[in-house]
Amino acid sequence: MNSTYLAGGPVVWLITIVITTLLLIASAKALWLVVPLLIAIILYYMLFPVVRRLSLKGVAREPAAAIVAGGVTVLVVLILIPLLPWLAAQSVSGEETLLRYLEGGRVLVDRTLGTLEAQFAFLRRLDFHAEMGRRAAEFGDTFVQSKLREALLATAASLPSLLLAPFFAFFFLRDGQLFTKLVTRGMPNAFFERTIYMFERVDATAKSYFQGLLKLTGIDTFVLGIGFLIVGVPNALAVALVAALLEWIPMVGSIAGCAIAVLVAASAHQTDLWVVYGVVIVFVVNRLLDNFFFIPLTVGRSVRMHPLPTVLMIFIGGVVAGIPGLILALPLAGVVGTIVGTIAGIVRDPRLRARNAYAKALLARRVNADLEF
Amino acid sequence: MLGFLRKKSEHPRLAQLRQLGLFSTLRPRELRVIEGLVHEREYLEGEVIFDEGEEGQALYVVLRGRVLICRQGEPATGRIAEIPAGALFGELALLDGVPRTAQARALENSVLAAMSRADFNSLLETHAAIASKIALQLARDLGQKLISKFLTLESRPQ
Repeated sequence: MNSTYLAGGPVVWLITIVITTLLLIASAKALWLVVPLLIAIILYYMLFPVVRRLSLKGVAREPAAAIVAGGVTVLVVLILIPLLPWLAAQSVSGEETLLRYLEGGRVLVDRTLGTLEAQFAFLRRLDFHAEMGRRAAEFGDTFVQSKLREALLATAASLPSLLLAPFFAFFFLRDGQLFTKLVTRGMPNAFFERTIYMFERVDATAKSYFQGLLKLTGIDTFVLGIGFLIVGVPNALAVALVAALLEWIPMVGSIAGCAIAVLVAASAHQTDLWVVYGVVIVFVVNRLLDNFFFIPLTVGRSVRMHPLPTVLMIFIGGVVAGIPGLILALPLAGVVGTIVGTIAGIVRDPRLRARNAYAKALLARRVNADLEF
Repeated sequence: MLGFLRKKSEHPRLAQLRQLGLFSTLRPRELRVIEGLVHEREYLEGEVIFDEGEEGQALYVVLRGRVLICRQGEPATGRIAEIPAGALFGELALLDGVPRTAQARALENSVLAAMSRADFNSLLETHAAIASKIALQLARDLGQKLISKFLTLESRPQ
């Protein structure tokens, strides 16, 4: 149901965009905090029903939150411990594997350029193959030597901060409802129902967005995995999972996922270009299924904003905060838009402001009842 | 085994909630869940709780004081009902979010317990048993109000 409580319009959108942009700039400076917060929010929505079930069994809220958050942490540690030796072995051969995939990509680009030059005479005159091959080689060297190494080092450096995620999740599970009641307690009676509506919308936006993303990831992993198995991509499920996780990044994520799958396919099938074409077709089909079926069913319209400020926000998020900005832009804009819309709704409602003024006058009369000036 | 995790004595707030008709059929553990959802609000005599035509977001139960239900802006001439302590009002908002059909004002300094529609809907998903008990009490309350209104209309001279 569309509520009259949420004001809209260009002014609200503009304020939402400005506030979201400032928050994205701040989050880019504190990425070590933002990533565990995001994980903690996802954990909160996944685990809150479990905490409520424990409450119904008679467990007090704080122990219930501790049991659930602690239990998940222990489970993750127990899963990781046997995996650590395998991960350590993989990291040694990881660079070799990466170089093998990049070499596979280079061979693919080389063969594609050769095929294009053979088909089109004007490309032969421009010496297209040699020129583009040189540029591709330069890009590959620059990418591996600087950007990829920087990204991997930054990722490794931020791993310890992930330990904050279960810590935050515990406090969200324990105090989430208390925080809502604390804020509403301080609100004047005239704005009470608007405030609880605002919290409900913020909660619904975040919950539907993150839960929808998890479901979409599962669906994409399944669809891409089936497609890659049919086409003949090695480690189909693992590649599908990586590509599905990259879909969390709007616009750029699909392209990056496709590029990774193409590199893996090209490395394994250097003489058979049809496998690579098959991977691209699988991605295009998945993208179409996402746009027309899966996204409306999962993430859907969790962020209730006009498409224009939504698209603008994604671009701004990418410019000011890079990949984290692309991921955070939509849910952050949804939450900020709800808060700004609620405040605008109150500001634009003279009756609400009059009721608040009347309540203040009643209180002033009551407290001054026995005082003479 | 989990006894050490449980609260030892009943909070006074739970005892207060238990007195209310809406939550009278709930077990202590279920009352604890409700206690976490209910907002307590204080209203001064004459203060408006909600206006006619507003989109309803919450149901209210009177913990202390009295509440007047009246036509919008007509507290003297448009009286519809008086809600005493322990009774509830605004319940239609909980069920289907329709606009408020009347204005509610505090007849005296009052303390109300509010449960939002969003919290009730989330109870339906996570604690269907609690939600159905509350819904049953709401239905009984509505039924009594309808019967009372019907009898009042019947007893009026034609």
